[in-house]
Amino acid sequence: MKLKSMSAEDKRVWLAIAGIVVLGICFLPIGQWLFGIRYTYTVRVVALGGSILGVISGALGCFAVLRRESLMGDALSHAALPGVAVAFLLAGRDLGVLLIGAGIASWIALRFISALLGTTRLKQDAAMGIVLASWFAGGIALLAYIQSIPDASQAGLDRFIFGQAAAIIESDVLLISGVGAAVLLTLALFWKEFKLVTFDMGFAGANGFQVGLINTLLSTLIVIAIVLGLQLAGVILMVGMLIAPGIAARQWTQKLNHMVILAAVFGAFAGGVGAVISAIDADIPTGPMIIVVAFSLVLASITLAPGRGLLWSSWRRRLDSRRFARQNALRDLYRYVLSHGSPGTPVPDAFIRGIGDRSAALGLAQLLSAGLVELTGDSWRLTDTGIEAARRDAHSLQLWDLYRLYADDLDLPLLGEDRHLDIRDVLPADAIGQLEAMTEQRPN
Amino acid sequence: MMVLERWLIELLLNFVAREEINAFLRSPQHTATIIGCLIAVSGALLGTFLLLRGMALTSDAISHTVLLGIVVAFLLMTDVFGMAGDTSSPWLILGASLAGVGTVVLTELLYRSGLLRQDAALGLAFPLLFAIAVILVSRFAEDVHLDEDAVLVGEIGLAWANTNSHCFDNCVTVTINPDHPQAKMARQCRNCRELGISPRDEGAEFVEICSNCGSYSPAQAWQAGYLQEEPVLVFFPKSITVTLIMTALSLLFVLVFYKELKLTTFDSALAKALGFRPGVMNYALMILVSLVAVGAFDAVGSILVIAFFIIPPAAAYLLSDRLAIMLLLGPLIGAGGAFFGYDLARGKFFGIIEVGDIIAGVNSISGLDLLETWDSSISASMVLMIFSIFTLAWVFSPRYGLISTMIRRASQSRRFDDQVVLAHIHNHQFTDRHSTELRVETLHIHFRWTAPKMGRVLARLRALGFVAVVDGFAELTERGETQVHAFRSAMLEAHNMPDID
Repeated sequence: MKLKSMSAEDKRVWLAIAGIVVLGICFLPIGQWLFGIRYTYTVRVVALGGSILGVISGALGCFAVLRRESLMGDALSHAALPGVAVAFLLAGRDLGVLLIGAGIASWIALRFISALLGTTRLKQDAAMGIVLASWFAGGIALLAYIQSIPDASQAGLDRFIFGQAAAIIESDVLLISGVGAAVLLTLALFWKEFKLVTFDMGFAGANGFQVGLINTLLSTLIVIAIVLGLQLAGVILMVGMLIAPGIAARQWTQKLNHMVILAAVFGAFAGGVGAVISAIDADIPTGPMIIVVAFSLVLASITLAPGRGLLWSSWRRRLDSRRFARQNALRDLYRYVLSHGSPGTPVPDAFIRGIGDRSAALGLAQLLSAGLVELTGDSWRLTDTGIEAARRDAHSLQLWDLYRLYADDLDLPLLGEDRHLDIRDVLPADAIGQLEAMTEQRPN
Repeated sequence: MMVLERWLIELLLNFVAREEINAFLRSPQHTATIIGCLIAVSGALLGTFLLLRGMALTSDAISHTVLLGIVVAFLLMTDVFGMAGDTSSPWLILGASLAGVGTVVLTELLYRSGLLRQDAALGLAFPLLFAIAVILVSRFAEDVHLDEDAVLVGEIGLAWANTNSHCFDNCVTVTINPDHPQAKMARQCRNCRELGISPRDEGAEFVEICSNCGSYSPAQAWQAGYLQEEPVLVFFPKSITVTLIMTALSLLFVLVFYKELKLTTFDSALAKALGFRPGVMNYALMILVSLVAVGAFDAVGSILVIAFFIIPPAAAYLLSDRLAIMLLLGPLIGAGGAFFGYDLARGKFFGIIEVGDIIAGVNSISGLDLLETWDSSISASMVLMIFSIFTLAWVFSPRYGLISTMIRRASQSRRFDDQVVLAHIHNHQFTDRHSTELRVETLHIHFRWTAPKMGRVLARLRALGFVAVVDGFAELTERGETQVHAFRSAMLEAHNMPDID
């Protein structure tokens, strides 16, 4: 793909992906040098596992974020705990079995929340809180019971609470990859349906889609993503792993496909790097570390993302306020000279500054450097180019007035009225012509 | 706090003997139940307003971030100021509550930036702050009792052992200095470590140090055997005091600001128009929620506490429409859950069902060999009991319960069937289509019902005396006629239409 043919949107997304890949590559030597990480076989397996889990939860998490169900992710991940414990009691410590148990418990929690919402007048937040706390308490009670069993090797169940990257082994990675591939494949197959129910459920229903079924399928995929991530992030913090990549990705793009891809990349970074850092020292729990890394990505995106980020918008605000100051100063000067005779009349400094204090100074400085005004003693005088510019601006304002009055009658294109813009830049030429004709009809 | 405890004990001593107080509070069950009930009462009082304001998950936010406040305050106290680490210290409680409120403010700021939605801001902020707290705990606070288990479930079962002692008679404080006859002196090598030599080597210098010097409170002195005469002591669990204060504060808040809370909760715009400050009320509520979450941290940890805020009011909400009654029922339900919760942790469900028997049943069915004595977490069991009571309320609530809803729907659908049939007969009798429309054998076809259903409805209407069957045709009796007119005019009135009959 040629760089020139890409839209600004595409560029932003590629910029973000490139940035994160560079960061990831830089992390390897820096981590080795700063933290003394050795990339042994175990660490490589852990990093791989973390990245794959990050891809899955990042991609699915986008839908949770967009459907405003971030907190549902929280409830469902807490709710997985009793499933893990019951599966352990019934069938032993095989990872696959534990995860199936976790999935069943989360899924029951999901149905329970729907049942509460369907049959009572409780609101969603209350229903989620009830299920979150009760299921979690059930899990804790079962874990305490398991701990009380003598010589039961319950070690390892704790890792579902805060996550433990070091416990991931090669067969786990294979399991995760297999299930993850199936989940992502389903996502790709039902892409259109998921997109539709996420953004406009009513429309989807009116067009004959099985909204209930699609919602259930999507929720089930989210449950699977949560359950897979549990051994890395743990039940309490899994929600962060699920939604943080999506929130970060949302800052860079307006398109769902870009968002999902970007979230998967962010998730891979957070999962991989977080898992590696926590593998340095057994004291660092994995889940919290991953959350911290993921949140740093969110913070960076919120600040840096072009178009939406805080830096960007504060820069734009600064540019806007400079432009407004210049324009307002010019208008004030022009209004003064018109009411005091000829355009060459000097304007006392005290008068013009008295109107807009700081922003007046900012505007005057710009006008001065552009050669639109000159300062003699303590009064300002518009230069010839200044008078010309002020006239053009006044004319534009007049056209804006006419636009407001006659836009409907003349059937002009619909615009948001922004009087700081020159109307001749925003309306097509023929529309300007029609407005000009109106000025001649109504001499003022 | 000590003063309050002393005052409370003196009050109690008017009614019961000292030994009885000590024996009562030394029982883990009594202390745990008292603490659980107090948390439940304060949580339910405040939680009622959270629930009605649609802010139930704010308690989740606060409880998560309060952990960070506690950990940071704890580390500051022990590492920077060199105080003894104590999670029931008023300073720590205050600091941690501020952290809780601060996070509510932060989340609001995050969401007002317009870059993310409220649920996302919440869902992002709690895990992050909780994650930082957990990292701090596991990195820096390993030796202290702030471990990950305590963070999750608290230590309500051990609360009885963490007491303040109050002395009422024979109160002797003992100070042991090196000259004291009972001072235990020991020789210690002063420079062995820095020189890397053993105490037997030449050049080792020794100092005499006193291993038991310091001042002892009467209770400590008696325990260490420095006193001849036993002091009159009462031991009072610290957690009870803390939770008692929280409960009193919550109760006071709700009683004093009942009107303001009610108004701002149900109609915040009206409250504002009348000159109240909904924002102030909101933050006051948040501060109290934080205080209760911090106070409960020792006993039930930082996650399970949200159950005490959310579930009892939710159950009360299913039982009543009146705020005052909700405020009574919520604490009762919570306290009931806490009361039965201790039993559940020890293997008895509602005092009737033995959990061990259930496990035995599972064992015999599945052929597994699970341990048949159930001994589990007290705080989690309390939450499970509260949830059980909630489920009971959900199923059996007289107005909103599953069963009553089911019964109501069934009776509504029966009444609808009756009215349809009566209206059908009313419309067609005495008309020329009467012979096709009202023949009993074919009547069900006109409603697209099955013949048995038609039979049931007709039998009911005949039993009620509304319909009679004459020569195989259905016709209205006089009572049936009145009935039709009654519900017709009720319906027309409900739709504001004139009666054309």
